[in-house]
Amino acid sequence: MSSVINVSNLSKFYGDFKALDSVSFTVDKGWVYGYLGPNGAGKTTTIRTLLGLLRPDEGEVQIAGVNPHKDPVRALRIVGYAPELPNLQPFFSAEQMLDFMGKMFGLSSQARRERVTQLLELVGLKEQGKKKIGKYSKGMVQRFSVALALVNDPLVLIMDEPTIGMDPEATVHFRDLFLELSKKGKTVFISSHLLDEVQRICTHVGMINRGRIVLSGPLGQVLEAFTQQWVIEAELKEATPEIVSALRSLEYVKDVKVEGNKLRIELKEKKDFRGEISSEIFKHEGVLLGLNLHKITLEDAYLQALRGDQQE
Amino acid sequence: MSAFRRAAVIAGYEWRRALAKKKVLALVILAVLFETMPFILLTQVAPAFMTEEVKVTMWVFGALSGQSMFIQLVAMIIAGGSMAEEYEQGTADIMLSKPIKKVEYMAGKFLGGFLLLVFIEAIMVVLGIIFAFAFFGPQRDLMFVPIIYLAIAYSTLVFFSLSFMLGEVFRRSTVSIMTAFGILIVSSIASSFLSFLYMQSSNQFYLDASRWLPTWSATSFPSLLVSDLIKWQQNPFLMVTGPGNPIQFRTSGDVLLAAIMIGVYAVVFILMAAIRVAKSDVTKKVA
Repeated sequence: MSSVINVSNLSKFYGDFKALDSVSFTVDKGWVYGYLGPNGAGKTTTIRTLLGLLRPDEGEVQIAGVNPHKDPVRALRIVGYAPELPNLQPFFSAEQMLDFMGKMFGLSSQARRERVTQLLELVGLKEQGKKKIGKYSKGMVQRFSVALALVNDPLVLIMDEPTIGMDPEATVHFRDLFLELSKKGKTVFISSHLLDEVQRICTHVGMINRGRIVLSGPLGQVLEAFTQQWVIEAELKEATPEIVSALRSLEYVKDVKVEGNKLRIELKEKKDFRGEISSEIFKHEGVLLGLNLHKITLEDAYLQALRGDQQE
Repeated sequence: MSAFRRAAVIAGYEWRRALAKKKVLALVILAVLFETMPFILLTQVAPAFMTEEVKVTMWVFGALSGQSMFIQLVAMIIAGGSMAEEYEQGTADIMLSKPIKKVEYMAGKFLGGFLLLVFIEAIMVVLGIIFAFAFFGPQRDLMFVPIIYLAIAYSTLVFFSLSFMLGEVFRRSTVSIMTAFGILIVSSIASSFLSFLYMQSSNQFYLDASRWLPTWSATSFPSLLVSDLIKWQQNPFLMVTGPGNPIQFRTSGDVLLAAIMIGVYAVVFILMAAIRVAKSDVTKKVA
């Protein structure tokens, strides 16, 4: 599999402040890569360096094997970029802006005309195509920004918080769009703090904190790595001491924590024992109101990773 | 797509930006007012020096009247905002994340801005000629109009390049325009003072030093060329060829010296801007 984005030992200083500290990761063709981190962690700095807007103090970035700082024309012609809350030229209408961006990518006037219509339809702004961008709402600007990023039919899509400011319907629409693009072999790099969204669409994740990558890899592996134990949460009509004691005595149960009528059953193995647990509860005449296997979420992993990094 | 085509796309964008911001309209209105007022004033006051000989060459006055201050100011306003406003508004990010070299982008901005200035200068020259005909009757030596127009355009490169470079360095349009304007004023005063010292001491160094300052070449070059091309000195509006530089101070080779000085200043300022663009980060929205 070929590496489309390659960041190696990237460091960036703002005065004395080290915004990026030897950041390294790769993104391969067809991946949807979620780049996570708290505010000020270095996500946007990484993206701006990837696009040649910021010069690295150490290390190197490459897009499809080309350094955008040395040859931006070759590196960036396959890239589409949607910045977080973009500042667009307010005097252009959406159609004019797309046409102008098409010119920057060297598209013919025929290709530009077709692309403008397609993209405005794709992002749901067909009716507002002639309206000045300065009169767009924040959500409309964000949607239009995605259209701008797609004007050159890019192989690599770099999105900085792409769904921020969008309504839930638009968020779902764009999530589906990113998945569709990845199925077509495009590489999608998404910086986001919306972990649920990332978990839904990303194949791989990287987490950055205080300018350092704290974890990176396929989403499944990352979640697995942070899953120390599986937990079953049970809600009973009445959590009697007999039931709790019986559950604690089961060989695959590590511990049972009681909160009113809710039980948190920590398992010794990463295995789904809900059937066995419910049988045990019924055996002791318990009335079961709910039973859930609680697996680790990306949010749990993210918080654990951040805590681990802060303790270092 | 070639580098030239990429720069041309940006130059076109620069024009659209100026048109959309009504900058062109405002500057054209100012240029019309600037050209009209002195002619009306001269016809109303009718000073004694307005002989027939002067009247038939008043188109030169119309073409050159804005040279010492107005056209320099227009140049500084256009150039000072060209790069800086993109940083101020945060639009530089969108432009420079596209397949274009920073230097090509800068070249396109420079070219677009300069063509805009040249367009306004053309309006001023044409208006100057029209008003000269309208207020003072038929004019002579009009065959020199194109070369004088080109000289005006070339001479504005000094303060255009300076303001453009400052716009890239400071990345604040107002600061860059004010700084360039300050340099124009200080340079004018210094040039006048050095000329005064020359008059008092006859020390050639003072005269030479006054000519090394950016104001002399920027404001004097078209007038010097006119006085070389048109062999008459009766027009009092041509008696001063720049701040503190009466025509009698002229020496042979002044036109060439002014042309070289303009070229040197422009090249140095453009190079400084190019180095700054190429070697620095693209800053995020600053205003």
